[in-house]
Amino acid sequence: MTRYIIRRLLLSIPVLLGVVILVFILARIIPGDPCRAALGERATAAICDAFNVRYGLDKPIPVQFLTYVGNVATGDLGDSIRFGRPVSQILVERLPVTLELTVYALIFAAFFGILLGRLSAIRRNSPIDVATMIVANLGVSIPVFVLGLFFAYLFAVVLKGTPFALPPSGRLTPGVDVIPLAKAWGLTTLGGPPRVVLDFISNINTVNAILTLNGSLLLDTVRHMILPAVALGTIPMAIIARMTRSSLLDVLGLDYIRTARAKGVRERDVVAKHGMRNALLPVVTVIGLSLGGLLSGAVLTETIFNLAGIGRTITEAIQGRDYIIIQGVVIVVAIIYIVVNLIVDISYGLLDPRIRLT
Amino acid sequence: MTMHADPFSIEIADPMAGQKPVSLLRDTLRNILRQRSAIVGLTVLGLLVLVAIFASVIAPFDPTQPLLGIEETARPRLAPCIHLLGCPLAQPEHLMGLDGNARDVFSRVVYGTRIDLEIGFLTVGFAIILGTLIGSVAGFFGSRMDNLLMRLMDVLLAFPSLLLAIAIVTVLGPGLINAQLAIGIVAIPVYARVMRASVLSIRGQDFIAASRALGESSGGILRRRIIPNALTPLIVQGTLGIAGAIIDVAALSFLGLGAAPPLAEWGSMIGDERNAVFSAPHLILVPGIAIVITCLSFNLLGDGLRDALDPRLNR
Repeated sequence: MTRYIIRRLLLSIPVLLGVVILVFILARIIPGDPCRAALGERATAAICDAFNVRYGLDKPIPVQFLTYVGNVATGDLGDSIRFGRPVSQILVERLPVTLELTVYALIFAAFFGILLGRLSAIRRNSPIDVATMIVANLGVSIPVFVLGLFFAYLFAVVLKGTPFALPPSGRLTPGVDVIPLAKAWGLTTLGGPPRVVLDFISNINTVNAILTLNGSLLLDTVRHMILPAVALGTIPMAIIARMTRSSLLDVLGLDYIRTARAKGVRERDVVAKHGMRNALLPVVTVIGLSLGGLLSGAVLTETIFNLAGIGRTITEAIQGRDYIIIQGVVIVVAIIYIVVNLIVDISYGLLDPRIRLT
Repeated sequence: MTMHADPFSIEIADPMAGQKPVSLLRDTLRNILRQRSAIVGLTVLGLLVLVAIFASVIAPFDPTQPLLGIEETARPRLAPCIHLLGCPLAQPEHLMGLDGNARDVFSRVVYGTRIDLEIGFLTVGFAIILGTLIGSVAGFFGSRMDNLLMRLMDVLLAFPSLLLAIAIVTVLGPGLINAQLAIGIVAIPVYARVMRASVLSIRGQDFIAASRALGESSGGILRRRIIPNALTPLIVQGTLGIAGAIIDVAALSFLGLGAAPPLAEWGSMIGDERNAVFSAPHLILVPGIAIVITCLSFNLLGDGLRDALDPRLNR
C-alpha cells in the first residue's frame, strides 16, 4: 500500500509541474505587454520600465519561470491589480466560502444521489425508478446558472411569507456577526502561517459557528447555504444517482448475491451489506471526479447568489481585467483539484485491493 | 493434400446458410430505433434542427431589433401577450414577452436554436478532430509519443474545466468564437482518451497485422483501418459532449465572456437578464428551458446510442 501511495504521489508531480507551466504560458501570451494589460491607460514608458523591473519581466523567460515557480511554492501569488493586495490574502478570505459551498453541495449530492440510485435499482422499472431517472436525466441537462436563478425566484418570490422561503443572496443576514476565531480565543497576537490557517478556518462560517457554539450563526449560515448548495449539487447528484443505480444493478446480478440470498440473508442485508459495499467503489470515483464540476459550477453559483467566494472573485477579476487574480485563483484551484483527486485515488486503493496491483 | 473419401469427414451444415447477411449499418440503425430514449432524443433534435433551419420563417420579429418606438405598446420587459389567452387585440402579440431591450423574446429563442446548435456541433467537432488525432497518434505509435501526449492531456484534465476555459478566454479575449475555442480545447482530453483506448484495443488485432503484411503504410493503417473501427465510442461520447459544450459555452456567455450583444444566444440572454429574475422570471425561464430541452435531447440520444452500440447489451 505504501508503494502504491508513493507511486501515486510521484505521478502527480509532472501533472503539477505541467499545470504551473500552462498557467505561466497563458499569462505570458496575453496579447500586448503585461504592463499595459495590468495598468491600462496609466502605463507610460517610465512606469512600464519600473513595472517590468519590479515583476522581473526584464529577465530571460527561464529565469522568470523559475522565479514564478518559487513564488507559487512559497504562497506568493502576486498582488491584485484592482485591490492592490496580495492574491494569497484575498484567497484566505474567499476560498473558505467556496469550500463551504462545495462541501455542502457535495454532501447533498452524495446523500441524495446514493439514496435515489439505490431506491431505483432495488425497485427497477417501478414509478420511483422512472421518476428518478427522469430527474437524473434532467439534472445533467440543466445549466447550474438556470437552476440557481430558478431556485432564487422560487424560494424568494413565490414562497415569500411561507416557512419555506429562503434567502436568495449573500452569506448571512445583516446583523448576524461572525467573530473571528483569533478574537474569540484571544489569539490576536498570533502571526505567521498559524494565523493564516486560523483565519482560514475562522472564515468557514459553519466551522466557526460550531467551534464558538454560536447557534444563531449556524442556523443563518445553513439557511443561506441551502439554495446555492442544492443548485450546485443537483448535477453531481444526478450523475451519482445514475452511477449508483447501474453499479448496484450490476453487482446485484452477480453470483455471490444469489449465494447470499440462497443461504437466507435478509434482502435488506443483501443490498446493504453485500451489494452496496461493492457497488459504491465506482460511485466513490464519480464523487471525486464531480469535484471539478463543483468548483466550475461554484463560479456561476456564487455569482448568482452573491457569495464572495473565489468564483465571484474570478468574475469580478474578469470584469476588471485583473489577470493576476485569475492566474492565482486558477493555479490554486487546480492544485486543490489535483490533491483531492490524489486522495480519491488513494482511498480507492484502500477500498479495493485489486487497484493497488495495476 | 486432397481430402477425398475421408471416412472421418462429417458434413457440417452452415448455420448461417440461407440467411441474408445483415449489414452493420442496418443492424446498428435497428438497434438504435429499439431504444426509446434514442427515439425521443432524435425526434426532439429533428424538430430543433427544423426550427434552426426555418428560424427566419418561424420568428415573427427580427431577433436583434429593439421594438421601442416601433410598436406603441412596446416597453422593456413587457409581459407575454397572447391573443388567445385574452391579451387585447390592439396590442401586438408577443408569445414570450419582450426583453430588457424591448426585443421579442420568442424570436430570440427561435434564432438562438440556430446559434446554440451550431455552437454544440462546432465546439465538439473541433475537440473530436484534435482529440482523435492526438489519441490515435498516442495509441498507435505508443511509448514516448504516448507518454508525452497523454501527460499533456492529464495536465488539461487537472483543471476544473470551466476555470481553464475562463483562463483561456481571458488570454484570447472574450467573444463567441474564442469561448467555443476554449471549451473545445478543454474537451480535447476526453476524446483523446477515448480514441487512444480504442486504438490500443484494435492495434493488436490480426487484420491490422494483415494490412501491415500487405505493405500498407502506418498512416494508411491508422486512417483506413483503425480510425473507422474506433469511431463508435467517439460518436457516443461526442453526442453526450454536445450537451456539455452547449451548457459550457452558455455559461461563458452568461459570465459575459462569450456571445456579445445583440446576438441571440441563450446563455447570454440569461446573463443579460439575470438581475430581472425577481420581476420578470420568464426572461430567464424561456431561454433556460430551451437549453434544457436541447441538452436533454442530446443526452437521451447519446445514452440510446451507447446502449444500442454496446455489444455487451445486445440481447
